[in-house]
Amino acid sequence: MTAVPSDRASRTHLGMLAFLASDAVIFLLMLVSNIYLRRSEAHGGQTLLEPGRMLVFSVLLWGSSGVLLLAERQRGRGDRVGAGALYLVTALLGAVFALAQGLEWRSLAAQGGTISSSLFFSTFYTTTGLHGLHVLLGLPVLLALALLSWTGQIGRRAPGVAAAVLYWHFVDAVWLVLYVVFYVWRGP
Amino acid sequence: MSQRAPAFPNTPARRRPSAVWKVLTSTDHKSIGLTYMGVAAVFLVLGGLEALVMRLQLAVPGNRLLAGETYDRFLTMHGTTMIFFVLLPLLLGFTNYLLPLQIGARDMAFPRMNAFSLWLLVGGGLLLYLSPFTGAPSQGWFSYAPLSETPFTPQRGVDLWSAALIVGGYGTTLTAVNVLVTGARLRMRGMLYKRLPMFAWMSWINGFIILFALPCLTAVLLMLEVDRLLGAGLFTRGDPVLWQHYFWLFGHPEIYLLILPAWGLISEIIPVFSRKPIFGYEFVAWSTVAIAFLSFAVYAHHMFAVGLGWPVELAFGTTSMLIAIPTGIKVFNWLATMWKGSVRYTLPMLYAAAFIVQFTFGGVSGVTFAVVPIDWQLTDTYYVVAHFHYVLFGGSLFAVLAGLHYLYPKFTGRFLDERLGRWGFWLNVIGFNGVFLVQHLLGLMGMPRRVYTYPDLPGWRALNLFSTVSGFVLGVGLLLLLINLVRSRTHGRPAGRDPWNGWTLEWLTDSPPKEGNFSLLPPLHSRRPLWDLKHPDDMDHLRPRRHDKNGHIREEERGHQ
Repeated sequence: MTAVPSDRASRTHLGMLAFLASDAVIFLLMLVSNIYLRRSEAHGGQTLLEPGRMLVFSVLLWGSSGVLLLAERQRGRGDRVGAGALYLVTALLGAVFALAQGLEWRSLAAQGGTISSSLFFSTFYTTTGLHGLHVLLGLPVLLALALLSWTGQIGRRAPGVAAAVLYWHFVDAVWLVLYVVFYVWRGP
Repeated sequence: MSQRAPAFPNTPARRRPSAVWKVLTSTDHKSIGLTYMGVAAVFLVLGGLEALVMRLQLAVPGNRLLAGETYDRFLTMHGTTMIFFVLLPLLLGFTNYLLPLQIGARDMAFPRMNAFSLWLLVGGGLLLYLSPFTGAPSQGWFSYAPLSETPFTPQRGVDLWSAALIVGGYGTTLTAVNVLVTGARLRMRGMLYKRLPMFAWMSWINGFIILFALPCLTAVLLMLEVDRLLGAGLFTRGDPVLWQHYFWLFGHPEIYLLILPAWGLISEIIPVFSRKPIFGYEFVAWSTVAIAFLSFAVYAHHMFAVGLGWPVELAFGTTSMLIAIPTGIKVFNWLATMWKGSVRYTLPMLYAAAFIVQFTFGGVSGVTFAVVPIDWQLTDTYYVVAHFHYVLFGGSLFAVLAGLHYLYPKFTGRFLDERLGRWGFWLNVIGFNGVFLVQHLLGLMGMPRRVYTYPDLPGWRALNLFSTVSGFVLGVGLLLLLINLVRSRTHGRPAGRDPWNGWTLEWLTDSPPKEGNFSLLPPLHSRRPLWDLKHPDDMDHLRPRRHDKNGHIREEERGHQ
């Protein structure tokens, strides 16, 4: 009854899928609270946001998912060095995004857009903060993947890698929704 | 002078890990399951003592034992403890212990994460009981905003309370992930979904409810803390009703996640002690799925008094009545299983029978709340208190006690003491019904809940005193049970592998099962693998029907008791 590697991989993958389904509910409820509470404010300071500038960094984050796809392809081909490098690039793109978000928060706060200034910003900081936390949690995982890949400790069928990859794609997909709701959509 | 000394004088061969260390570090699902139950027992004592002190306060009108906010603090700690740190760990304990055994697996899918979940839950419980040192939370387990916001409950204990639920909640979410993957991936060859034992089936469905209900609580607690710690005002300047929506979107499914594994235990016990396979397996199974969906669709019936508007109240009133159908199906199937069976009233079966009566009572009073005008009249009275204690105590906890008596021989290899057990049972039944039956009347007379005292109106004094006295009878009953649990571990009658003549795989292994659970698994062709093993001449899958055309169990089966 010992589990074969592919079985363990599929187990981990399924477990991550279930966890992310649960995680998605939290993001969903936070988004709904933003949409619902916006009715009671004229604009709540949304005009302080700069969708254009954030789009640049968002594209970097979404691009990291593409890089991760390439990394997985290299791993599938047995190219450990290439895959490790691409994992590292993914992590770097994520780090740049997290840094940009931190800087954006600082400039918003300087202009008076704080968590207590309006309901829009309350939900904005709560939701993007939770997302930022997910990005930060993903970074050490990606770095670990890079290291493990270089030291030859993950091969083509390593269990668990698929779960980490799924997590990162989820984080990027959530940001797509958050970007549209907070930066593009002008409210009900 | 050369003196040959032993290589390592005074050193014992190798320090053997102590029993405590083993429990703390184990990743075995059986050890984890039992630890869950042990933790729950500690919290049951705490929560039970809180309840008794509250009942003392309410024994006579105008009492000053727990005046004002002190009472609220006891109320909050009692509710939170019982729901999150007694019933939940008890049920997770049974799930952990039994699920792998029933599906023929060696362990859960992620054993180390399983241990992590357990200790997260324990950590949550510790946080909760640290909160009194920073100002005990007094906002109730429902924590309604804006009552739970800083202006009304400024003490830091509320933040620790939130942290306790978030930490414990993550433990439970990870357990749900574990349960789902275990049920989906680790079933032995031949263990199709349509052959899963009822407990395994219901625990697995329960995984889905946990997975989608608990994040609602996590989200709303995060939002509350953003308000309290960072001054956001989501529920003050925003909308306090939003709290209630999110909280009950978690809170109502929570009730079902506290009862599904309990139903699973009942669905295992009744067939074994009636010597009949469960009646209408498919209906019992699929009604569970229906309940999983409906449990989310009925949540707003906790909010009829908020003023949601007629269309919404009608819609939720209707769904709340609908959920009585799959629930009723289960009750009727249990009764049909007992009907014309040869029922053995052992301790587990006694508790199961008490469960059916009390749970049905609680279910019926639940349906009355689906009638919106009745709800308006009775909400926030003792009728509600009586109702949910009938469901959660008379239902869930009695089912757990049934399961405990049923599985104790498997846990320890010994029976619980029968005489002590029967004393405990009758004290529990009399005590429980004594406490809560009269509270229906108090509620109908208009006695409000969540208040620390009441005026001396006709009948109130006598009924409250009766309720309090019964509370102590119940306390003695539970104490006898605890004594029995401890004493029988060493003094109980040896039980052997299969003391109840069971049909599911857990009765195939040693009692208690060794690590790895099974050395050899039989081929599995039906829902009752052990029946097939014991009756090779009359295997389930080789005969056309188990019941005759009148729905009675076939004669051959009775001969095989």
